[in-house]
Amino acid sequence: MTMFKGGIAGIGRTPYRRDSGRTTEAMAVEACRAALADAGLAAGDVDGMIAYRALTDSASPLEVSQALDIPELSWSVDVGGGGNVVANVVATAAAAIAAGLCRAVLVYRSLNGRSGRRFGTATGPLQIGGEDQFYAPSGYLVPPQWIGMWARRHQHEYGSTCEDLGQIAITQRSHAVANPHAIAREPLTMEDYLAGRWVNEPFRVYDCAFEVDGAVALLMVGPELLAGLRQPPVWLVAAADSQSGRGWTQWDDPTSMYSRSAGPRLWARSGLRPQDMDVACLYDCFTYTVMATFEDFGFCEKGEVGKFFAEGRATYGGDVVVNPHGGLLSEGYIHGLNHYYEAALQLRGQAGERQVPDARRALVSAGAGPYGGATILSGEEP
Amino acid sequence: MSDAAVSSPPQPLPDVDSAGFWAATARGHLALSRCSACQRWQHPPVERCRQCAAPTAFEPVSGTGTLFSYIVMRRASVPGFDDLLPYVVATVELDEEAGLRFVARLEGVGPADVAIGSRVRAEIVPVPGGDYHVPVFRPIDESSEAVTVSSPDVTRQASP
Repeated sequence: MTMFKGGIAGIGRTPYRRDSGRTTEAMAVEACRAALADAGLAAGDVDGMIAYRALTDSASPLEVSQALDIPELSWSVDVGGGGNVVANVVATAAAAIAAGLCRAVLVYRSLNGRSGRRFGTATGPLQIGGEDQFYAPSGYLVPPQWIGMWARRHQHEYGSTCEDLGQIAITQRSHAVANPHAIAREPLTMEDYLAGRWVNEPFRVYDCAFEVDGAVALLMVGPELLAGLRQPPVWLVAAADSQSGRGWTQWDDPTSMYSRSAGPRLWARSGLRPQDMDVACLYDCFTYTVMATFEDFGFCEKGEVGKFFAEGRATYGGDVVVNPHGGLLSEGYIHGLNHYYEAALQLRGQAGERQVPDARRALVSAGAGPYGGATILSGEEP
Repeated sequence: MSDAAVSSPPQPLPDVDSAGFWAATARGHLALSRCSACQRWQHPPVERCRQCAAPTAFEPVSGTGTLFSYIVMRRASVPGFDDLLPYVVATVELDEEAGLRFVARLEGVGPADVAIGSRVRAEIVPVPGGDYHVPVFRPIDESSEAVTVSSPDVTRQASP
């Protein structure tokens, strides 16, 4: 049973750089133009647009559509959020098309995430409201700390280790070696990983997403258009999302994430199982995010992720290839939209040296902690 | 911008719902929001109880709890703590209710000696660079745990 008709007809992106020297609007426009060219469509064919932003670090759909000379948007949405919203953004675009609100939607993320305002570090002086007000004055404010706190609990409960996290970083970096678009392509050994500078125990620098400047865009269309365009279609099979609990600090079980709920729901909706996935582009803001969601999605038992990766089961020739592009850790932190780009390349058979043989189905997750979602994409019409 | 401002820790931006917390720490005590009807603790604080929607008010907590998790900060990801590096930030499950957790620095134990499951108690300390106070947790020595929990004279701040 599938939920959607349609999927991804075009993909586009900019290079990923430490300092783009460009505006987020210019990069969004470049990625969108590339996605249109990839699909063989023009700006005049686009009537929907959706983007997401974590901070004030993006360009609005109104600005971008005007810069592209799109005549009119029937559907335009600008979402506040990071990885937690991506799967929902993609699913909602497909739902808007299925509802007949629009026919062709550009989905993009554009940010100067390295040269501009950084997500992983705070700079003062700061006045902090919300729940963070209670902890920021104690020096607790940014995502590496929150997720590091969760990872440490997993180590306590399941005996997982920093080396287990390192296996994830090492495997993904090995994939980035074959990815000319990746920001970090030097192979990583366990010695390299352990010698990396601490960010906050238990996380070292290689446990954290590589902040970059860049943009990614997807062009999503309904089934009639999808079947007739220049690229092999990438079908959206199912999606599931979850926001629950009472925040990062009150979450009952940090050894599991949003995926403990969204995962089973995704498999139930799609009629598929982890074993059916050839590719898993798992949101990897941190290595621990991969660890917890990999368990939650049912790829292995709790506490077994390090061993799974060490045995080569998460790479070429194994059970599933996790982040064949290197992920946010090694390709670059485009807040998860680059995972959709890679999944599309793989399912189209266009991943070149990185091609996962006979890749037919991809799981793409986005989010961390209490908030996130996942989609299943397929190279075959569901 | 003065050097002091740049190198100060983040300051809180209190609101109507959190005012009682800051009023209590200003008087040297840790207090959290609690439902006046069903008595469940409400953290983060809310105007009305999450479960039964009755008014909430801040009530003192003992400040004691069990270490649930921790991280060790080894670089200045948050401004104002350079002099304290490396410092430990702990998530503590407070004795008042299962799952009720607070996050603060842990002092009095070296980073290599922190033990999840150990017992800690909150002490209120000033936040440099402003007028606020926050808890810091310290290990409790259980063998000398004959200390009675004091009942601080904290005025209940009932929400309208």
